[in-house]
Amino acid sequence: MPKITIDNLSFAYPDTSTEALKEIQLTIEPGEFVAITGATGAGKSTLLRCINGIIPHFQPGTLQGAVYLETSAGRSAVGRVSTPHLARYIGSVFDDPEGQIVSPIVEEEIAFALENTGVDPTQMDERIQHALDDCGIAHLRQHPTNRLSGGQKQRVAIAAALALAPSILILDEPTSELDPDGTEAVLHVLSELHRQRGITVIIVEQKINLLAPLCDRLVLMDQGRIVLEGPPRQVLRQADVFTQLGIELPVPARLMHALVKEGALPPLDSPGAPPVPLTVDEAYTLSQALLTGS
Amino acid sequence: MDVFPAGHPLLQAQQLKHTFRTGRCALQSVNVTIHAGEMVAIIGRNGAGKTTLTKHFNGLLKPTAGTVLVGGQDTRRVSVAQLARTVSYVFQNPDHQIFHGRLFDEVAFGPRNLGLSGKELDQRVASALDAVNLAAYVDRDPAELSRGQRKRATIASVLAMKTPVLILDEPTSGQDYQESRQIMAILQQLHQQGHTILLITHDMELVQEQAQRVLVLGDGQLLLDGSPDELFRQASLLQIAGLRRPPIIDLQHRLEELGLTASVPTAESLAAALASRIQQGPSVHVDPTPGRNAACP
Ligand SMILES: Nc1ncnc2c1ncn2[C@@H]1O[C@H](COP(=O)(O)OP(=O)(O)OP(=O)(O)O)[C@@H](O)[C@H]1O
Ligand SMILES: Nc1ncnc2c1ncn2[C@@H]1O[C@H](COP(=O)(O)OP(=O)(O)OP(=O)(O)O)[C@@H](O)[C@H]1O
Ligand SMILES: [Mg+2]
Ligand SMILES: [Mg+2]
Repeated sequence: MPKITIDNLSFAYPDTSTEALKEIQLTIEPGEFVAITGATGAGKSTLLRCINGIIPHFQPGTLQGAVYLETSAGRSAVGRVSTPHLARYIGSVFDDPEGQIVSPIVEEEIAFALENTGVDPTQMDERIQHALDDCGIAHLRQHPTNRLSGGQKQRVAIAAALALAPSILILDEPTSELDPDGTEAVLHVLSELHRQRGITVIIVEQKINLLAPLCDRLVLMDQGRIVLEGPPRQVLRQADVFTQLGIELPVPARLMHALVKEGALPPLDSPGAPPVPLTVDEAYTLSQALLTGS
Repeated sequence: MDVFPAGHPLLQAQQLKHTFRTGRCALQSVNVTIHAGEMVAIIGRNGAGKTTLTKHFNGLLKPTAGTVLVGGQDTRRVSVAQLARTVSYVFQNPDHQIFHGRLFDEVAFGPRNLGLSGKELDQRVASALDAVNLAAYVDRDPAELSRGQRKRATIASVLAMKTPVLILDEPTSGQDYQESRQIMAILQQLHQQGHTILLITHDMELVQEQAQRVLVLGDGQLLLDGSPDELFRQASLLQIAGLRRPPIIDLQHRLEELGLTASVPTAESLAAALASRIQQGPSVHVDPTPGRNAACP
């Protein structure tokens, strides 16, 4: 299970004057669940492309610094590792699921991913079924991939990545076109995979209200830089940064900040301040404790 | 736009059926009328038929049974180009729509087809790009924009058209909070000016805050045609249609269990209600069972 070290990484696309990434410094431990968010154009997809090797292997540009994968066998820069080798560790869901799908039939798309990584053929059927079930598209197994709805295509791309069960799963806004039910289901599966098999998950998402209770670390990006990162309960204390970046503070955290303003809670950085609630349930419990005076 | 006075039935689906060549019946007998000046949200599960329905209103799809009328005209008898003067459309996938190598030309394409040129064209394009915060990218290749930026580029294309009807398939997907609210503000402004707006979305908060009328589709059928309030009160419908209440509504319902209310639910108003209750001293009516979940199924 490799550790990922991003060391002073900057990247500029060809013929552009501003860098898409500026001096990114980030270490992702094996088995961490990291959620990245930020405005459009902040550099989120570019960062993921540097981690999964699309940059520099397929996308040209000016790269400074490096992304390292570190295993017990040693440490090597992503740019120096061959792409088939990278594919053994890293599975990706791109921001454009449709562009990622290459097979005419849903089932073949999942099988294609598995064949490429040398999965035992006797295991194939079960792996395919499981991945389709996890993404709620078992009924689409024999469906032509070019005749699916947008959200169905996105589910196929996620299923293909899940079936691979790689050590590192990289997902670029995988739920952008999913219905609320599907979004929750997919995030739940990711969280379970991460918990049970120790898979590293790096996900870019706008829906941080759903990610905050699941992730170990929340990263806020703006104009090519990491502005704030840390455990969600810590990051969500800094309401001002959210406001400044125009990123929505999830409702439970907003309630807490509003309670501080009302004088019903001590300032969040004072000792003994309760932890920031991440879910509606936690916000309820906090409110109840305040009312009963406990 | 005076051709369609407010309240005039503008988009009509009558017994609309659509069966794809694969045999998949994506719409089964949908009846709905959208009036001039309305702002309507269409929601429902992936594969419910949302895109299939709206593509009937710009003529890209024709009914396999039933009728679709746009401005009273049967879409089977009008060309797509002609319909484009009334209805402009933002595709779910921006890459299905973008085909120019320069953002200016991409946004200018529609207005040019309407016969605009010169200064007026330049102005239309500039103000549309400005509205979606892409003015700085006017000479760039849209293919080199980020995904969310590409989606906004397609929204600019539609804004530049100023057609009576705007249909937007998931206009805020991939946008952050501020960006999606900005897009909605533009649409609200157009709505105020009398444009008819139809948008597909999976964002329940946006539905709650911005829509007057919601169409819920499920398996090719219209499950609800009503207000957001009606929708979020129907737990069983929410479940069937794969929908969720927005977190703020969920929180409001939970805090009601503690006797807290706010007429307009926001985190701030609920906090204020809570704070004033605390000042009144410890409550006697509070149910101390932790994690009770009566309000959310
Ligand atoms: N070209 C096609 N041929 C056959 N079936 C299709 C085609 N396009 C869509 N479908 C099917 O028709 C149904 C409705 O699709 P549609 O794209 O309208 O769904 P949607 O509600 O827009 O979903 P999403 O939220 O995922 O975009 C789906 O089950 C889909 O698989
Ligand atoms: N192929 C490219 N060539 C030139 N510039 C690019 C290219 N791809 C992205 N950019 C630019 O680099 C910056 C970062 O883009 P990136 O796609 O990483 O943003 P993002 O945070 O993923 O945005 P989104 O939320 O819209 O997906 C943007 O300003 C974008 O315009
Ligand atoms: Mg992106
Ligand atoms: Mg659709």
